[in-house]
Amino acid sequence: METYLKHKKLVALGFLLIHAIAILIFTRGFLLTRTELPIHSTCSDVSLSPCLASPRPNHDSSSGQSNQTQPKCWTKPVVDRVIIIVLDALRIDFVAPSVFFPEPKPWMDKLTILQKLAFANESSAKIFKAFADPPTTSLQRLKGLTTGGLPTFIDVGNSFGAPAIVEDNFINQLVLNGKRLVMMGDDTWTQLFPNQFQKSYPFPSFNVKDLDTVDNGCIEHLFPTLYKDDWDVLIAHFLGVDHAGHIYGVDSSPMINKLEQYNSVLEKVINILENQAGPGGLHENTMLIVMGDHGQTLNGDHGGGTAEEVETTMFAMSTKKHTTLVPPEFDTSSCKQNTDGKQICISSIEQLDFAATLSALLGISYPFGSIGHVNPELYALGSSSWNLDNSDLGNFGTQSAAKEWMKNYVNVLCVNAWQVKRYIDVYSNSSVVGFSSDDMSRISDLYSAAEQNWSSSVKHILMDGNGDEGSTNISALLKEQIAAYLNFFSSVVELARSKWTEFNLNLMITGFGILVISLILQFLAVFHGDKSYAEGSWLSTGAAFTLFIVTIRACSFLSNSYILEEGKVANFLLATTGLIKLRYAVMRKTMRKEAFMFLAMVSVLRVSIDIGLTKQAATSQFMSSSPSWMLGIAPDHPALTYAIEIAPILSVVILICVLYIAIAKAPSEGLWKYVTVGSMVSYLFIALLWASESKILGLDGLLQVTGGRNRIPQTVYVIGLVQLCLLASARMFCAEKDKNWAIRAVALVSACSSPVILLSGKQGSMLALVYLVAGYCIMRLEGVERRTTSDGQSKFSKLNPLCVMQWSLLSICMFFASGHWCAFDGLRYGAAFVGFDEFVLIRQAILLTIETFGFSVILSVFGLPLLVPIHSQTPQAHGEKRHQLFQMYMLSGVISATTVTATILCVTIQRRHLMVWGLFAPKFVFDVVGLILSDLLICLASAYHL
Amino acid sequence: MKEAKKKKPETSIGVSISALGAFSVYLITGLFLAVGFWVVRDKYSVDLISDPSLTLRLLWIIEFPIVVIIYSLFRRNPEKCSYFRAVGRSILGLISGALINALGAVSLGAPIGMQSLPKTIHWSFLMSVFTVVPATAVFGASWADWHRVFASLKPTGNIEYMILIPAYGATIGGWFGAWPMPLDWERPWQEWPICVCYGAIGGYIVGQMVSLSLMILLRKHKSLKLA
Repeated sequence: METYLKHKKLVALGFLLIHAIAILIFTRGFLLTRTELPIHSTCSDVSLSPCLASPRPNHDSSSGQSNQTQPKCWTKPVVDRVIIIVLDALRIDFVAPSVFFPEPKPWMDKLTILQKLAFANESSAKIFKAFADPPTTSLQRLKGLTTGGLPTFIDVGNSFGAPAIVEDNFINQLVLNGKRLVMMGDDTWTQLFPNQFQKSYPFPSFNVKDLDTVDNGCIEHLFPTLYKDDWDVLIAHFLGVDHAGHIYGVDSSPMINKLEQYNSVLEKVINILENQAGPGGLHENTMLIVMGDHGQTLNGDHGGGTAEEVETTMFAMSTKKHTTLVPPEFDTSSCKQNTDGKQICISSIEQLDFAATLSALLGISYPFGSIGHVNPELYALGSSSWNLDNSDLGNFGTQSAAKEWMKNYVNVLCVNAWQVKRYIDVYSNSSVVGFSSDDMSRISDLYSAAEQNWSSSVKHILMDGNGDEGSTNISALLKEQIAAYLNFFSSVVELARSKWTEFNLNLMITGFGILVISLILQFLAVFHGDKSYAEGSWLSTGAAFTLFIVTIRACSFLSNSYILEEGKVANFLLATTGLIKLRYAVMRKTMRKEAFMFLAMVSVLRVSIDIGLTKQAATSQFMSSSPSWMLGIAPDHPALTYAIEIAPILSVVILICVLYIAIAKAPSEGLWKYVTVGSMVSYLFIALLWASESKILGLDGLLQVTGGRNRIPQTVYVIGLVQLCLLASARMFCAEKDKNWAIRAVALVSACSSPVILLSGKQGSMLALVYLVAGYCIMRLEGVERRTTSDGQSKFSKLNPLCVMQWSLLSICMFFASGHWCAFDGLRYGAAFVGFDEFVLIRQAILLTIETFGFSVILSVFGLPLLVPIHSQTPQAHGEKRHQLFQMYMLSGVISATTVTATILCVTIQRRHLMVWGLFAPKFVFDVVGLILSDLLICLASAYHL
Repeated sequence: MKEAKKKKPETSIGVSISALGAFSVYLITGLFLAVGFWVVRDKYSVDLISDPSLTLRLLWIIEFPIVVIIYSLFRRNPEKCSYFRAVGRSILGLISGALINALGAVSLGAPIGMQSLPKTIHWSFLMSVFTVVPATAVFGASWADWHRVFASLKPTGNIEYMILIPAYGATIGGWFGAWPMPLDWERPWQEWPICVCYGAIGGYIVGQMVSLSLMILLRKHKSLKLA
């Protein structure tokens, strides 16, 4: 028997390893990660590059006066001021003329002012089709736009909870270069850049139903700011179109009203700019950019990678008039005939290139992690200003002007290419999962080829050639050089995309396959060595019903709606099992009180889950908040506040009494008893802490006596650790393990419970009480559906799957009832700082994990032995008990692994779903962490008990 | 407690009913359900979706008398218990059944806010008419009969089939009817308690059909047992 059980401990360890491997493989394919580098570009870096440090000196004198006053950084600034108007979720067909689409729709051709400007003769404006990279959510997109990188679902960085961007970015570079920034609109910007804006007018973005607050606030501040000269870069972020899409969809009158409103706003903005565009005017050399951060589907959803979501648009206009000079080789425009027979063209741009292009236009250093390149067409819109000056002075023709532009552009690209190569090298060296060496050498080859060409010929042309002799030859050389750089950029971007945005389906399927196999193995392990189940009796109603519930729960994960309301679904299923138990209890005429009590506890949990769901709805963009559970009691009613203050303390006192009864009943058993007494002391401390924090008890002085508010929590942690050490050493060194099973389990659970209760806050003790009572009812109701006549005589009742199922459903309900949900904003970051003021990553992460999974995994796994129904004390019973405990652990492992397998299947199927990053991926992360943690704890628990 | 396990003597069974009789009972109850819907639509010009609580109230007020009138005919011990007593105890059964149904629904997750309170109340009255009222009319306070039929699932005689199977059908139908509620289809019928109502009515009708076919199939057997 001993070797058999030793073997069983290894079984638990084996499943931990198999699950870990399967999940690791799957995660490698699904959760794309990227390491954020804390390095920032500086102006002086450019001396390391092979490029010309400054543009040709003889042209400096001829450039505009404003350019001379500013210190040069990497490249010569070509525009003085930039106005960026972000219209959230701007589809390409809102801006581009309807002739570009199969059929005109009511929402098209509403922003007529942009089309008019872009397609006018002698235009200095252009419409671009802009491609965003998924995930197409506003926060991720703003991050991508400003860093010039590809944000992934998990950017491994130093930001713990706070969304502020720590990576080098365009906004940061602007500040470093002394530019002054003004921001208005969506408050996501101030979350991402808390300190960078000189002036900001943020408006809350999360109320999707409010179409106008953000926009009106923007408009109110935009026009006065346009007349001021105390800024260099203005950012206005309008949210109306996004919100109208979320609520009404694209084909709706609110959407069309919004677009018409924007048209008039833009018309007014452009009027102001043109009035001030004369020489010496405020907007003599200003660039206006109107852009979307991502598109949206016709239903107004976004987040995924479908064409509708990633295709957005950008309109750029310079206040200096000129004709476009981009050579046809680098022109990406696609043209159509409009109804008047006029040729109209729109170009295309990657959002990835936005940061690099704007940095080049403003003449600042490029963000360190940018992998985009300077877009020729957008750059040409601004850079035309000094070309015109040149042609005036030097009497160059259009041909030479184009060549002149190319000379500048090739130098810009040279700096750009050097910067991208530097980033790729540094990233590959410093990241945990860098690029493969094959890819790196391919990219290095491309870069060195381009650079060789640069230093051997092109550089000399730029240095001394005044371009008279063999102009066609030089122009061809320049074009060749530009093409070489563009080739390098495209292969870098391709590599980065495959690394950071594309799922590896093979890895995903392999991981899923391993998990399915382990599931089957674990299922067999449950029934291994159990002869009685082989006789066909195992397919009892209880087992069939368990199978039914597990299947329903697994299938429910295929729909995003059920994932959102997972707590309610689990509660529904738990209540269903409770009702079934009640029916059996009534039928057998026993335990009716327990069955009713169980249902009452489930009802308490559902109220708690409802409260949690309303919290979730306040922050989730997928849920509508429904305050329907409100009972109509004023929240500040004195009786209610009193009850809220007193109830947690009362629950702790009850818990102490329960523990006392538990150890008083048990025969004297030295160590285990002392450990449990330790928990009682911890509980007492917790009650003291809460009593001193409460306002109505007037025990404020207590905090001073105990030495600050951190002393008590720290004491509780220390007691918990000491208890665990004692239990572990007792298990290792004491041979008397055959005795008194229950008291050992009680000691372990109580040792773990005190930190969990403390971290969960005041609701913790009440939930623990509910958990305890419900668990007691499950234990009492175990086997109630068996025929007492036939099974009553057999000494050891068989494993009852329904009771393990109830226990695991109960712990899932506890997760949601304690105010959690499967999203990162559902983590209670405050809990990480109970007892500590300063931030230490590992310590705080451990506390956060204990808080998040405390009830649902830690107490659930350690509490499982208390459900074992055998109370006989004979040695034979003990062996049987251990076998049954092993089965129960395996069964609960099967249940949680089934859930995770279903989640993984669903994530694989829905990987292109628009909610994959908002909903499925967080759910996946929570499930997977929960599974690994519970596997680990099952290993520990089986080492402790078996 | 032990003697409750024994079968009740046959003498206590009241008026028995044939399969044809059961069919006509079902026809009448179904007809009145349809009349209820017709009244709601034509006289009050609302439906279950636009005004659930009014609709449900009218439905149970129309359905309740007919169920009581019919099932009281089949009451146990007709010689001891007058017809009006059976009607009277059905009213008590209606209220207590509604309470049980409401508590069950709340524990399963029905909304508990003030604005859904009337809906929950009228829904539970309708459920009570489907599940508890026929049994109170027939069994009264005879706990042994209740226990034998509802808990042990050992009905004897056609009338007990008529009580048991539609009641379970309505409950299970309502349980399944709750499934579409969390889906994000944003249809008005996904609101509590509309789809649960549809499910319960559907389950009730299915239960009636199942019990009818069981009666016909197993009519030869004297003591019927469920598989």
